[in-house]
Amino acid sequence: MNDFVLGHYNYWMFIGLMMIGFYAMMAKKNLIKKIIGMNIFQSAIILFYISTSAKRGGVSVPILEHAAGGHGSHGVDVAHYANPLPHVLMLTAIVVMVATLGVAVAVTLLIYKRYKTIEEDEILMKIKEGSSAPKELVDVRSQKDSIKLRTNIEYRTRNVEL
Amino acid sequence: MKIFSLISAVVVGVALIYGTMDMPEWGDPNSPASTHVSPYYLEHSIEHAATPNVVTTVLADYRGYDTLGETTVIFTAGIAVVLLLRKRRKTGGEDDE
Repeated sequence: MNDFVLGHYNYWMFIGLMMIGFYAMMAKKNLIKKIIGMNIFQSAIILFYISTSAKRGGVSVPILEHAAGGHGSHGVDVAHYANPLPHVLMLTAIVVMVATLGVAVAVTLLIYKRYKTIEEDEILMKIKEGSSAPKELVDVRSQKDSIKLRTNIEYRTRNVEL
Repeated sequence: MKIFSLISAVVVGVALIYGTMDMPEWGDPNSPASTHVSPYYLEHSIEHAATPNVVTTVLADYRGYDTLGETTVIFTAGIAVVLLLRKRRKTGGEDDE
């Protein structure tokens, strides 16, 4: 039982971290806090994968030591190096994480500019009120065009009626 | 709503912990992740790419197209951020009308 706990407690740590992020994504009203929760979630997944690459007993990072000698394929003791594949895949995951973080923060910034708040419930309230959007951010041109079009049509129909 | 979130987080966490019962032990050298293809990369990194850092070899040589796609992801995200945050100078159209 003790061995089982010692062999698996790392997974439980990451699950705990992941659920903290998951809860933050669902329960928090503040959009920035939601983004922070998403980052905690992703970090937990990355830690989980990195931990699967570990090996017991004097294992170092996957950088081959006798590289200068050249002829590598015979001398490499696989049990002496950590598994490189999770490291590589998590590099990709970190890149995706940064990309999603950037887009999410940009969208949050736009939401703040438009509604002057990043609290979810206040944004929903303002959307229901319908009068929230400040003038400068509404696409005025399309409104103008539609008004012009409407007046044109009204004008023509009036002419026809006359 | 908060209590619903808490309950669902706990339920998912318990399900995941149940899933770890069959996971290999931490640091097991014979775990499935460390036995199939990763020895191949470790053994042939010098021979194929002359690079001592195996992570670099896998990233840039074996999975070069994956890394190319990664740059596409970064590029797309950058374009999206630029499109979202650029100044809207012409939003009002011709104001002199």
